[in-house]
Amino acid sequence: MSKQQTAAECGGTLLIVDDDAINRAVLENIFSPYYTIREAENGAEGLRAVREERDRLCAVLLDVVMPQLDGLEVLRRLHREGELARVPVFLITAETGDRVLKEAYGLGVMDVIAKPVVPYVVLRRVQSVIELFQARRRLSRTVESQQARLLEQAERMVRLSQGMIESLATAIEFRSEESGDHVRRICSITTCLLDRTELGRGLSREDVRHIGLAAILHDVGKIAVPDAILNKPGRLTAEEFEIMKTHTVQGAALLDRIPQLHEHPAYRYARDIARHHHERWDGRGYPDGLRGDEISLPAQVVSLADVYDALSCKRVYKDAFPRETVLEMIRSGACGVFNPRLLDSFLSVEEGLSRMYRKEETA
Amino acid sequence: MTQERRAELTAAGIDVEAALERLLGSEALLERLLGKFPEDGNYQALRSALETGDLERAADAAHTLKGVCGNLSMTALYGLFSRQTEALRRGDAAAAGTLMEQIAPAYEAMCRAIGGQGDGAR
Repeated sequence: MSKQQTAAECGGTLLIVDDDAINRAVLENIFSPYYTIREAENGAEGLRAVREERDRLCAVLLDVVMPQLDGLEVLRRLHREGELARVPVFLITAETGDRVLKEAYGLGVMDVIAKPVVPYVVLRRVQSVIELFQARRRLSRTVESQQARLLEQAERMVRLSQGMIESLATAIEFRSEESGDHVRRICSITTCLLDRTELGRGLSREDVRHIGLAAILHDVGKIAVPDAILNKPGRLTAEEFEIMKTHTVQGAALLDRIPQLHEHPAYRYARDIARHHHERWDGRGYPDGLRGDEISLPAQVVSLADVYDALSCKRVYKDAFPRETVLEMIRSGACGVFNPRLLDSFLSVEEGLSRMYRKEETA
Repeated sequence: MTQERRAELTAAGIDVEAALERLLGSEALLERLLGKFPEDGNYQALRSALETGDLERAADAAHTLKGVCGNLSMTALYGLFSRQTEALRRGDAAAAGTLMEQIAPAYEAMCRAIGGQGDGAR
């Protein structure tokens, strides 16, 4: 193998800083088969070389006693600039004084090697440290790329679980002869009210995303309601209505029975929304007859979104109402009483929301 | 390297085997580095610093010479420069001066040997 090849293989420049040409030549002779050698005749030149070589530099061999900047001063400056953590510096010195060694080690010199040098000793000591530094650098690069991959995988998992939840909800919608659009619109309306009005104050972006996801599941309990009732075109009898009402309790119970879901941050919202999206501000909703702020904010928002969407669209039991009628029915409490603060916020963004239905009509 | 050359350098105080080992066996490099030895400015610097009483500069020069002699396995000179460096570091100018009387002939003999006019070859 030629000298050049091995130098390229090990990669990197080794800097020798010594004022005496003979001392430099001895070290150059030992290391040149493995590294590209750069020499500096004094401390100032050595510092300049460190800056110029920067990324190529794999180690510095530093003499102590030198004119202009001595080795210890070079070491102090490299220490101050934080270079000693990046590149290993070795003192090669005939100095045996305790004071110098103590300060050098204190500053973070990698090792002190006595002059006159013994070739295989200096080579082995310097090379193992260089390899260690290179391995450490490789490792930290690997860790970085793995971290990025893990993050990407986590994001894919989030998208996947969101997709699973949507398909579950859509499957249930299909039974009531609706497309999956209803659940997606409920999610949009809920997210819009929390993002763009004061209702969402104090909630993080993550919270809003989870509440939106939970809103998709508000009607999962309908899977327990017989087709005959679910798809009945006309008015429900009192008995049938009682059965229909159980979809709230059934929904919460169903979510309870999927243990994997409990760890999902959206779970506690989903359970609450499924059970309480038919509660009303005046306590006349179902199943628990909660009133006022006993009903959580997410459940209140979804209940209004659900009513608004139902009125704005055609259902098996009714036609779509015009926008003015929808708003009038909501304001007058025809579909139950809502929190006045919730209504104000809703009306402030309703115009934007109404476009979802106009687009549908033209489509 | 001829036997005579080896003997000449040995007589001047070089442990030739040790020096070659440090240079990974390169006789050419040894000759090249020995050729630089008489040109090394530190010896002149040491002498003039001693004359002007600049002990700090003298100590640095002696220290560098100690390193060079060590690297070239000039055993006797290495020992002398080591002792002189220590003397200068503790400010003992008299001891440094006395040592200079032993260093000068050894240094000059070394330079002669390097130049091929060593005493051992005669």
